[in-house]
Amino acid sequence: MPHVVTDNCQRCRFTDCVTHCPVQCFHADDERVYIDPEVCIDCSACVPICPVHAIYDSLDLPDAYAHELVINAQRSHLLPVISAHLPPLSTAESRRAELGL
Amino acid sequence: MSTHTSESRVVRGACPQDCPDTCAFLYHVEDDKLVEVTGDPDHPMTRGGLCVKLKNFAEHHYNPDRLLHPMKRVGPKGSGHFQRISWDEALTEIKARWTGIIDQHGSQAIMPHGYLGHQGTLNGLTTGDAFFNRLGSTVAEKTYCESGSSTAWLMTVGPTGGLDVESLAFAKYIIVWGMNMTNTNLHAWPFVLEARKNGAKIVVIDPVRTRTAKQADWHIRIKPGTDGALALGMINVIIEEDLYDHDYVEQYTLGFDELKSRAAEFPAERVAAITGIPADDIRTLSREYAKCQPSAIRQGVAVERSPGGGDAIRAITILPALVGAWRHVGGGAVEMPIWEFPFNFAHMCRPDWIKPGTRVVNELDLGQALTGEMKLDPPIQSLFVYNSNPVSQAPAASKIVDGLMREDLFTVVSELFITDTARYADLLLPATMQAEQYDLMVTWGHLYFMLNQPAIEPPGECIANVDLFRRLAKTMGFDDEYWDLSDDEMLLRSYDWSSPKLEGITLDVLKERGYMRLNVGLPHERAPHAKGEFPTPSGKCEFKASAAAKGNFVAEVWRSGYEQMQSGAPVDAVPNYIASFESEHADPALAGRYPLNMVSPKPHAFLNTQYANEPVQQRRQGDQTILIHPVDAARRKIESGTSVRVSNDRGSFEGRAEVSEDVMEGLVMTNVGHWPSRNRTGTAVNSTTPDRHCNLGQAGTFSDNLVDVERV
Repeated sequence: MPHVVTDNCQRCRFTDCVTHCPVQCFHADDERVYIDPEVCIDCSACVPICPVHAIYDSLDLPDAYAHELVINAQRSHLLPVISAHLPPLSTAESRRAELGL
Repeated sequence: MSTHTSESRVVRGACPQDCPDTCAFLYHVEDDKLVEVTGDPDHPMTRGGLCVKLKNFAEHHYNPDRLLHPMKRVGPKGSGHFQRISWDEALTEIKARWTGIIDQHGSQAIMPHGYLGHQGTLNGLTTGDAFFNRLGSTVAEKTYCESGSSTAWLMTVGPTGGLDVESLAFAKYIIVWGMNMTNTNLHAWPFVLEARKNGAKIVVIDPVRTRTAKQADWHIRIKPGTDGALALGMINVIIEEDLYDHDYVEQYTLGFDELKSRAAEFPAERVAAITGIPADDIRTLSREYAKCQPSAIRQGVAVERSPGGGDAIRAITILPALVGAWRHVGGGAVEMPIWEFPFNFAHMCRPDWIKPGTRVVNELDLGQALTGEMKLDPPIQSLFVYNSNPVSQAPAASKIVDGLMREDLFTVVSELFITDTARYADLLLPATMQAEQYDLMVTWGHLYFMLNQPAIEPPGECIANVDLFRRLAKTMGFDDEYWDLSDDEMLLRSYDWSSPKLEGITLDVLKERGYMRLNVGLPHERAPHAKGEFPTPSGKCEFKASAAAKGNFVAEVWRSGYEQMQSGAPVDAVPNYIASFESEHADPALAGRYPLNMVSPKPHAFLNTQYANEPVQQRRQGDQTILIHPVDAARRKIESGTSVRVSNDRGSFEGRAEVSEDVMEGLVMTNVGHWPSRNRTGTAVNSTTPDRHCNLGQAGTFSDNLVDVERV
């Protein structure tokens, strides 16, 4: 039962999560990050750190995001590991404002 | 009309669990209620993260099932029917029963059973030792975990802290040998990842493709119980190909010629046949390990859980000296840095109170001891259980249950919950949880003293173990000064505070800061054996062990400080490969009936059985799951999700199959920790495990377990 990154990360990609993850389970593309469910150890260190509340324990995942379980598993396996903080996307602040966070 | 002002506090603490990480806690308290427990981000090793097991640690303190008052049994043994009584009534009953038993059978008819359900100096492994030594009970040998490794380590390199896990960041080659670090040593893993960032290769040796193995650069699958053959095979390649550090071997090791002869018995092809690892991989691993300096080995407890586990750990522990890895910061082997802490076991355990000739019974033999299978005179008439849950955690569990059902056995259990063992008690005593008690934690995975300060009041009539044994001592009429010492006075006597390792460290400073690192060198400069200086009889790393002359032994920490009545069974001075008892080779008839080898490592969401009664952790861990290889599954018409029974002559349990290539053909895996009573059959994996011992330190052989699996 891993953790899951959701749509809130889209156009933000703050990657604060990456610096708090003890196992390097985050992978990224040009738009957002994904968690590899085979590597995540459910510690939740990333959850309170995310500025846009994009990460959920799968046990607490709202139904509306259920599809993200598959997206995280598939995309993380195709993309490189992110082991260090990346600069947020240029749209990050506007997206955060849009989310009201 | 009253007004109410909310009051918030943060109190420093430390994790109580039997885990190498001992995380620094911050207890968040509001209006005297523990609302959250977080990691302290400033701690250099644990760095603010906790783990999945501790997710709802604050809520766990308020679990409605907690045992809050002394209780006495009112139904048949094992029925779980108890009635509240007062502490006075409980203590009076204990005194009456024990006095009667002592008068009739002698004090050795009483046996304690404790382990590391708590890891504190006051309330942990040794918390009951002084009391039971004073009482004159049987001495319980507590070898659930690490004892085989301890004996092997002491025989080879002596009581050294060895490689600091934080120094792993400076290694260029890291072998994680028999440990699922991201599950059971999580906070050391970032140092491994840091090393990888700097170019290190990470190799995981494990029969199972664990979460840790999946992250390795190279996962080497090994048949359980064959680690000794692999280590000797590596030694052979390294010597044969002249990859060893001649100067280091010459100056700082003992017994090279004997080791060379022994290792020559293990050419790569033979080792391949034993371990299942291709011979070329064995050669490659040996060459890379020898040449990529500094090389490091993180050795796991799993290696000891087979008949030859002790010698396997000795052979593994020899490797860093052979290649000169100890010369470097980041080189060497990690076992238990606990040996750096200047304990005063003479105070903690009071072995001076043990009457000469007092017998020792190993806790893993509990079923034999209670049922009479082990001939004991006097027989065990009373069992006192604390910090442990043998019905779930000890091998041959069905035999233990048979013993606990004895009408003439007086069983007292101090617990947090009515566990599978507590169900069989005649008396239950309520114990405190970590946020409710004070203790200086014993850490066996890093080099920090960690102080846990109470954040909230204990609920009901729960008391800390240290108080429990003070009360019992007073009840039994012991008038020694020992039982009047305050917690701080106990702590001051439990360590040698004048040791240079503790310079600048005091309880007062710890109360302010929560933790302090021992003065044993910082991670970026520590190389404790760059110039030998091994605390062994020869001062060298002993390939040929001087300590072998006295035969097999258990380190004093695991047996109440008692030095007498050791096993003394013959030990080869140079480590050898000792095969499993339960294999096709050793016992073809047994393997014919039970063709699958089962290993039972620690669970992901529980800490042994702790937290396995929390619904959120149960959801996370899932049902008792049996991993089985597709070929073995197909033969038995088993698919993922099929209900299966795992059995052998010792017992059986049931679970849900998961067909997976994460296990090798012929191997099945399930986790220990699910409460047997919560499984459909009332049993779990330890109903099938053997009550035998590995060749050193009386460790268990939990991984030497042939079973069969069938559809239910």
